[in-house]
Parts: sequence; C-alpha cells; structure tokens
Amino acid sequence: MIRFKSIAVAVAAALVGSVFMVPAQAQDKEILVWADETRGPNLTKVVEGKNDWVAGYKIVIRTFSSFDALKTAVDNATDLTGPDIIVGANDWVATGAKNGKLAPITLSNAVKNRFTPNNLFDLSYKGNLYGVPLDINNVAMIYNTKLVKSAPKSFGDMVNYYLANKSKQKLVAGLCVAGGGMSWGAHSILSALGGNAYVLKNGKVVTSGNPVPAEFSANVKKFLLAKNGKSNGFLPASDAGCKDNFLAGKVPFAIIGNWEWKDYVFKGFKMNLMPVPGVKPGTYGNMFGSVSGAMLTSYAAKRGVEAGAKDVLTKFFASTEGAIRYQSVELRPPAEKGAQQADLTAAQIGFGKAGSLAGIPQIGAILNGTAGSSSYWDLLPAFWTAVLVDGKNPAAEAKKLNDFFKKNIEAGVKDL
Amino acid sequence: MNRLKIATLTKYILVAFAIAILSFLAQSAFAQGEVEIALFLAVSIIAIGITYLTKISIPLKFFLPGLLFLAAFALGPVLYTLGMSGFQFQTGNYISKDAAIERIKLLGVQPDENGTTFDVLVGRSDSGDFALLASDPFVTKQYFISTQERLTRLDPLDLTLDSDGLASEAPGFKAFSNRELREVDQTLTTIRFKYEEPFFLQLEGSDLAAVKRQKLEYLSDQDQFRNLLTGELYSDNGRGNYVSEANLDDILQPGWRSPIWFSHYIDLFSDPKVREPLVKVFIWTIIFAFLTVLTQFALGLLVALAMNRPIWGRRIYRSIFILPYAMPSIMSILIWGGMFDTEFGAINNLFNSDVAWFQNPNFARAAVIIVNLWLGFPYFYLVTSGALQAIPSELSEAAAIDGASGKQTFWKITLPLLLQVLSPLLVASFAFNFNNFNLIYLLTGGGPRNDLDGEIAGATDILISYTYRIAFGTNIQNLGLASAISVIIFIIVASISLYGIRKSKVLESFK
Repeated sequence: MIRFKSIAVAVAAALVGSVFMVPAQAQDKEILVWADETRGPNLTKVVEGKNDWVAGYKIVIRTFSSFDALKTAVDNATDLTGPDIIVGANDWVATGAKNGKLAPITLSNAVKNRFTPNNLFDLSYKGNLYGVPLDINNVAMIYNTKLVKSAPKSFGDMVNYYLANKSKQKLVAGLCVAGGGMSWGAHSILSALGGNAYVLKNGKVVTSGNPVPAEFSANVKKFLLAKNGKSNGFLPASDAGCKDNFLAGKVPFAIIGNWEWKDYVFKGFKMNLMPVPGVKPGTYGNMFGSVSGAMLTSYAAKRGVEAGAKDVLTKFFASTEGAIRYQSVELRPPAEKGAQQADLTAAQIGFGKAGSLAGIPQIGAILNGTAGSSSYWDLLPAFWTAVLVDGKNPAAEAKKLNDFFKKNIEAGVKDL
Repeated sequence: MNRLKIATLTKYILVAFAIAILSFLAQSAFAQGEVEIALFLAVSIIAIGITYLTKISIPLKFFLPGLLFLAAFALGPVLYTLGMSGFQFQTGNYISKDAAIERIKLLGVQPDENGTTFDVLVGRSDSGDFALLASDPFVTKQYFISTQERLTRLDPLDLTLDSDGLASEAPGFKAFSNRELREVDQTLTTIRFKYEEPFFLQLEGSDLAAVKRQKLEYLSDQDQFRNLLTGELYSDNGRGNYVSEANLDDILQPGWRSPIWFSHYIDLFSDPKVREPLVKVFIWTIIFAFLTVLTQFALGLLVALAMNRPIWGRRIYRSIFILPYAMPSIMSILIWGGMFDTEFGAINNLFNSDVAWFQNPNFARAAVIIVNLWLGFPYFYLVTSGALQAIPSELSEAAAIDGASGKQTFWKITLPLLLQVLSPLLVASFAFNFNNFNLIYLLTGGGPRNDLDGEIAGATDILISYTYRIAFGTNIQNLGLASAISVIIFIIVASISLYGIRKSKVLESFK
C-alpha cells in the first residue's frame, strides 16, 4: 500500500513537473481569418472553391456566432490566440489600433487605385491604413409600389402621401427605419431634414459651423409634428416592428440595410432603392457609406506570417477576382472598383447607386466619442424620443443635439 | 476486504484522472503565458495528491474540491478585480508597457511623402545576405538590389524583365522559392533594407516593399520618445501614455495598463461626472431592491395565506403560481419586454393606452418592479407556505379565545413569527436583487437615459448594470473604473450578506 502510494505521488510529481515543459510550437503557415455569422460561411465557400491565392499559405476561416461575439473575441484575443486577419466594421479600426491589436499595411498605388480614397480613409487611423475595404455598408430607402406609384421627389411628398392615406390604407407610419437603427440608419432622415453628424467641406470635417442648424428643427416641426406639437405619426421614434409593418403593407416607405434586401425580394418587393429625399426636390439625406474591411492584426507578426497575411489582403481580399467571388455569395455592393463592373444584382447596384449619390464617410473617432457626455449613437435616438414621444420643443432639443455634436466633433478631429 | 481494495483502486484512478486533466490545463496555461493560472493549477495538483494519497486530514478530503473552486472562481476574480481597480485599464490602455513601447516603435515609421513602393523579388545576394531585387518601371523607373548594408543600382538592360517590365532575374541575386519565403516570413518583415538616407525599404507582403523613414526614436535612458522630424519629446504621463511635452492632446498610441493606485476610488468621490450618476444609481439600487423584496414578500404571503385554506382546486392553483418560478427567467423577461412595447405591446392594447413604458423613467421603473414581482413572488409563496405550517395553530386559537380578531392575530402573532423565521431570506433576497443584472439588462438596458440632458446613467440602471456599461457597453471601455465600482458593490453586498448570516445565527452551530 505504501509502495502504491509512493508510486502515485511520484507520478503526480512527474505530472506537476511536466507543467514547465512547454510544448513546441507547431510550424503554422495558415492565415487565420475571423469573421461573423454571415461573412464567415460565405468566405468559407469562397476559399473552399479556391485556396491558392497566396502560394504556400492556406486561408482558414473561423466563424463566430454573431457580430458581437466576434467583437468580444477580438477584444479578448492574445498573442497566442488572436487571428491574422479580422473581417469587421470600419469603426473597429480606431479602437483596435489604440489597443495595439491591429497592424498597419502599406499598399502599392496599383492596389490603392482599386478603391476610393473615402473607402481607404474609413480603414485608417492617424494616417496609417489598417486593412483593405471589402464592401460598402449602407442603407437606402425602399417604397411599396402597391401603395406609392412613383418615387417621391421630396420629403414633403412622403409626408403628404402619409397624411392623405393614413386612414384609408390603415397606415401605422409613413417612413420607418427597418435597418441600421435610429442612429446609423436614421442619419438619412436627420440629413434630409437639414442636420448632419458633422459638417464636411471638400471631404474634410470642419469644426466651424453647426452640424444641426436651426433649419433642422424648423423642418422637424413642419414635417414630423402636428399642429398640437405632438408627433403626426409619420416617423416612429423606434425601429421596433418596422420591417414587419412594411412587409405587411402598413408603411409605404422604409429604410433598409444592404445585408437584408433578400428578405424583401423574397416577399415580392422591387428594389427601387434611393436615398431619402430631402426637403428640396433633387436633394437627398446623407447616409453613412462605411466599409467593412479585412484588417491586419499585430498577431500575424507574432505568429510569423505577417508577409503571408499582407499578401492575402492584397491578392485575395483586395483583388478583383477575390471580390467578385466573395460578393457572388455575400451579395453586398463591393468596394473594389473592378468588382463593381461585374454582374451584380439589382439590389447591389441600387445600394451602390444610393451610396454614391448621398454617402458620407463614417468617422468613428467623432461618432464614437463622448466628449459631449454621450456619443452620436445615443444622442440621435434620444432626440427622436424627446421630440416624437415626449413632445418636447424641437428647437430646444435640436440645440442640445447641436451642442453635444460640436463637442464630439472638436474632440474627435484631434484623434484623426 | 475486496470491497476495500476496489474502493482504494477507484480512488487512485479518480485522483490520477483529476491530476492528468489539471496537468494538461496547467501545461496549456503555461504555454500561453498565463503563469498565475499555471501556478494555481500546479498547487491544486499538489494539494490533491497530498490530501487524497495521505492521511493528513480526513475533513480536507471533503472540503478540498469546494475550497479549490472557491479560490478559482470566487477569490481569484475578486482579487483580480481589486488589482485592476488600481490600474488605468481602458480602451487604449490594454497591453503592457513593454508591448506598448514595441508597438509604438513599429508604428513610429512613416512612408515617404509620395508613398513610394517597389515591386520586389525576395532572395539572397551573392554574399548570402537577404536581398530585394526591386523594380519600378513606371514612376521612379529604378531597378536595384538592396541588402541591409548596401544598395546596388542596376541597368535594366542587364536584367531579365517580365511582360510588366519587372525584373525577374539579375546578376548577383538569387530569388527564394515559395517554400523558402514561407520559412523566413517572420525574419523578413523586421528587416530594413538599404535605400536613400534617411529612408529604408520594408517589406509589405512577399512582393512589395515600401519606402519609409523612422519618425519616432525611443530614448531608453530617459524613458521618452523623440520625434526625429520635429524634435518633440513624449514622456510617460504616469497614466499609461506617452504624451507630448508641448501639446498634451498629442498622445502616442497604444498606451499601456499603468498602475494609478487609488485614483479611480478618488474619482468616485471627487469627480462630479463620476460621482453624480453613481449616487443617483446607488439610491435607485437601494429603492429597487427594497421595493422588490417588499412587493414579492407581500404578494407571496398573500397567496400563501389564501392557499392555506382548504379550497377547491388548491393543487391546480399551486401549480399555476409556481409557473413563473419554473420558467427560464431570460425568456420571461424578453416576453414581458414585448408586452410592454408602446405601439405593439399587449398591455397597451389591453388597456387601450399608449403609455411609453420604456421611454418614460417612472413607467420604466414601474415596469421593472412589476416584472420582478411576477418573477419572484412564487419563491416567497413557497417559503411563506412552509413557514405558515410551522406556526403552531394553538397560538391563533389562544388569541381568538382572548378576543383577538383575524387582523390582530395576523399583525401581532403570525407576521412577527414569520419575519423572525424569514428575515435571513429577506436579507438574502435584498442582496440578490441589489445585483439583479439580468432583469435590468434584458428588460430596459438600464434606460431610459436622456442623453440630451447629459445623463450618463439610465433611469433603471442599478449599480451592476451601470458598471457593466462602463466596462463593456460603449466604445470607450473603462475596465479600471468598472473594477473600482465592482469592489464597492462587493463590499456592500458582502456586508449585507454578513449581516444576514449573523441574523440567522448559522455560524453559531459551529461554535
């Protein structure tokens, strides 16, 4: 018995000692790419069809269950567990760079010319580029042709239609936001009525001027409120139920995202996509034309595959062939200029056109900033609630919005 | 005797199995650089070996698993949170100082003003050094071989060019094969190849090199960075960043996790931007926990009193009353969230109202109390039912003989006896609801919050949900401050729990 115990203790001691024997790191020439639950499977399909984009390197896709799960994994990644490339939103770039998780890449002029300067700017932070654009994320407005016979020419046309037909057609709203939420998706409405998240001149943010001028609150009062100062029902303050109501024919106009157009086509809706018309005919509300990108991480260098990862970015993600193959399954508007000439669906073309008519860059350093106590993402929905639900004075609330936006712009510009 | 041998053998097998699993985990932790976890696992292995393979302590054989889990999943996180509360640990201050210096050095290069790049072949020169055969037939029209020491310009007439005009062969240069390139990937990307001073060439992939120059230089003696172009100095600001001495807004990224000791705790009391929302949230947390316990206990007791009588269908009613407790709370909360929706919710439809439940602060608070009441009253119904059975009926009979009414009997006899028995449970329920994160997060998200009035905390935010939002909820994640608030929450809840334990006199049985 004592001998048995001694042996057991000795084995236990040996096992404890094995703690300090670090297993040899296997040679690993795979390029690990992390993506979310829609992009991951689509990228997997592409690399299963062709995986010799970079000689000597194999692309391995790891799919996460959701966009948020991917973000959490990225936040928790370490040198040993992190990926080489992340496929994610452009507003991850500033945070990822600040946290030391992303690494910069320099592109040749030939590769840079495949994208617009705005697209490349979206993936840059403090002058360094951190990835290559994949596709354009944007929203556009769609109208129900069974209710509305032709495209509205102005914001007022939509409001007049709603007020005239509200009872007859049992409409629950005139325009609602089905995709992108009351901050990102609803920027088109803010802009159509005369406001913006920031003022751009020649493509650059200017800190002078008011992003939410007085004309915005005047337009809100004219188009969104009834004579008693309460909401006229045209624009709901929340996006809850918007998609279902639009599909059921209870809302004539809806803002939808380019990741969900298939749901509408399946229900028989035409992709008559357009930007939200502005107050004056011929003008439009600006939408954020951000890109999703394939971003290089600092873990690639630690894993000894940095050159290979950079080649995957330029020879697969940024190549015309790669973009065409990927977008043939992802079905979003490609950012790569050559792929934009390929055979695209009506939706991809429609979103692309809407974006080129009225897209503005999504500048994370300003939009995510909270110098004014809250970020743009919380401030705009708070405005809709204050005016459309609580019945507060639009001029006073718009002034507060403007003041907070200005503080965020001033702080954000310093971080660009 | 045989049974003893089988039992002993089983014990050894189980202990060996446990040690094997822990060893594997420890080895994995050590390989990933998680030294503290590896050491804890190693200590656990030793403790298991000594406890179960010797006769050092029989009670320890029963306690040890619990002690190890307590240390790993209770004590460990508390100590880690306590530690992190003394650090500047937020977005932009995640990594260690050494890693931050390394990253700043890597980022401290900038391309030349034209963004010049060359198509390159990677290989070796005649002398065996790593070399680039660079071509730019379009812009600079240069061809050269570059090593770390030398730049040798080439005449395109002496080269073999491909259809794009790029050099594919050159005298004094041998290109790597794909396999060779893969093997030297890690080395190549760190090498600086010669170009025109002060610029150098750095690989950007296996066939592209960019012209860059060093912009930032690290002065290790002074622990400063110097901008080589402007002479500007960046010093450690003591809060995890190198900051320009001339312009405090000019911060080098990334920063690092820097110890700032009690700074977060001081901010909790001295910084109005932190203190004011925290006080507001703290007051609501107390009110919420108190009202929850009061309403749940009241309704649970009422139902228990009603079910204490022999009524028809009592068993069916009992089963129905238990249902809210049996259903997964996450599902229930989400369904209630839909029912409270202003436009499409069942409650507004039922009462033909348009109450903005989640947009109005008072209605949102009421919604939270109502949902928590529905979720929690079955528990109090069950415990008060049991407690009511334990009250001797002679007491109420005696009171009736003395002329006491039903109400008097309840308030003067039944309720005081119930409270005496149930007060530890009430205290425990208060402590639980003090930290009832699920309900707040799923139902209201802590809102509504009037951002336009500068509100930072939501109307229904309790301390834990507010802390969660500081830590994870926005793009600027302040984990250090969230850790400090978590420590405060821990002290409060631990004090309440200790009070409850003292009141229940549980530990007196161990004296």
